[in-house]
Amino acid sequence: MQKPLSHNFVLILIATTLASCVNLKHVGEFSESSIEGIEKFNTLSYSFAKNCTDECLHKSIAALKIHNQTCLCTADKKADSITALIYHTTRGYFYGLTDISKNQLTNYNTDELTQTLATGEFGSLSLKEADVKAYSSISTIILRAFTDGYRRKKIKEYVTRANEPLQTLLHFLDLNLSGNLIGKLEVQKSSIKSFYFDLIANTDLSVFERTKFTEDYYEQIAALTAKQEELAIYSEVLKTIADGHNALYNNINKLTEDEIKGQLAIHGTQLKNLAHSFNINK
Amino acid sequence: MGKLTAEQVKRLADNFAHMANALGNYRYENFERLTKENNQFLKELHAKTLAHTTELYTQSAILVMDDAASSLEHIDSITLETQQLYKKLVGVQKILDRATSVLTLASAIISLDTKEITNSVKKLLTPES
Repeated sequence: MQKPLSHNFVLILIATTLASCVNLKHVGEFSESSIEGIEKFNTLSYSFAKNCTDECLHKSIAALKIHNQTCLCTADKKADSITALIYHTTRGYFYGLTDISKNQLTNYNTDELTQTLATGEFGSLSLKEADVKAYSSISTIILRAFTDGYRRKKIKEYVTRANEPLQTLLHFLDLNLSGNLIGKLEVQKSSIKSFYFDLIANTDLSVFERTKFTEDYYEQIAALTAKQEELAIYSEVLKTIADGHNALYNNINKLTEDEIKGQLAIHGTQLKNLAHSFNINK
Repeated sequence: MGKLTAEQVKRLADNFAHMANALGNYRYENFERLTKENNQFLKELHAKTLAHTTELYTQSAILVMDDAASSLEHIDSITLETQQLYKKLVGVQKILDRATSVLTLASAIISLDTKEITNSVKKLLTPES
C-alpha cells in the first residue's frame, strides 16, 4: 500500500513543480529585439558635433576663408555625450533583462552528478543507477521550479520598477535625436539654401555656373534629408521599444498568457522590420 | 521664473526656426525688389536667427541631463540588480559542477585510484570561469 502512495506523492510533486516552471522565452525574445533595435544607434551617421563642424565648415566656405578657421564645438560634444549616456543606460537594462529571461539559465545540468553517484564506489554504500537517475530528475525539477519562481518574481519586480524611468529615458533619447538633432539638420538646410540662393540668382555668373550651383544645392539637401530619415526610423525603433515594454508592464501578472506573448511577438516583429528598413536606408 | 526644461527649450527652438524660415522666405520672394543693402541686412539677420536656433537645439539636448538624471540612476540600479541575479542563477550550476568534482575525488580516494585522484584534484583547482 505504501509504494503507490509514495509514487502518487512524487507525481503530485512533479506536477506542482512543473506548473511553477515558467517559460520566459517571449520576454527574452522581446528584450533581444529591443537590443538589436536600440543598437542601431551605433550606425547613425550623424551627431551634434558633426553638425557643428559641418556648419563651421559651411561658414568658412561662405566667407571664402581658409586660414585660422577654428570650430568651437564644446556644447555639441557635451550634447553627444549626454545622448550616448542615455543610450548606454537603456541598452544595459535590456541586456540585464535578456540575461535573466533565458530559459537555459535555470536548465541545470545534473547529468555528470548523476553519473558520478551511480557509478562511484562509496565504501559500504552502493546506489542503484536507476534510483539515482530518478531522484536526480526530481531534484532538478524542484531546483528549477524554485529558481524559476524566484526569477519570475524578480523579473516582475524589475519590469515594474523600470517601466517609468525607462519610458522617460527612451523619450529623452528620442527628443535629442528626432527632436533636437533633426531640428539642427533643418537649420543647416536653411543655411545652405540662403547661401546657394544668392549664387543661383546672380546673373553675373554664367548659366553653366548657376546650373552647377543648383545641382550642388539639391545634392546637399538630399544628403541632409537622408540623415533626417535615418533619425526618423530610429525614432520609430525607440517608440516601438517603449510600447513593447509598456505592454509587458501592463500584463506583468499574465506573463504566461498567450495574449501577452502575442503582443510582445508583434513588437518584436516590428523592431525587426524597422531594423531591416534601417539597413536599406543606409 | 523657474528653470526652463529641455522640452520648453526645444519648443522655443522650433518657434525660432519658424521665424527664421519666414525671414528667409521673405528675402527669397522679394529678392528682385530689395536693394543690395536691404538684401544683405536680411541675409545676415536670417543667418543670426538660424545660428541662435541651432544653439537652442543644442542647449535643449544638454538640459535633457537635468530632466533624465533620476531616471538614469533608477535604471542603473535595476540593471545592477539584474546582473547580480544572473550571477546568482548561473552560480547554482557552478555549485552543482563543484559538488560533482568533490564527489568524484571522494570516489577516487575510496577506490585508491591515484590517477583519478590527480585528475579530480586538478579539476577542483581549476579556477571558476
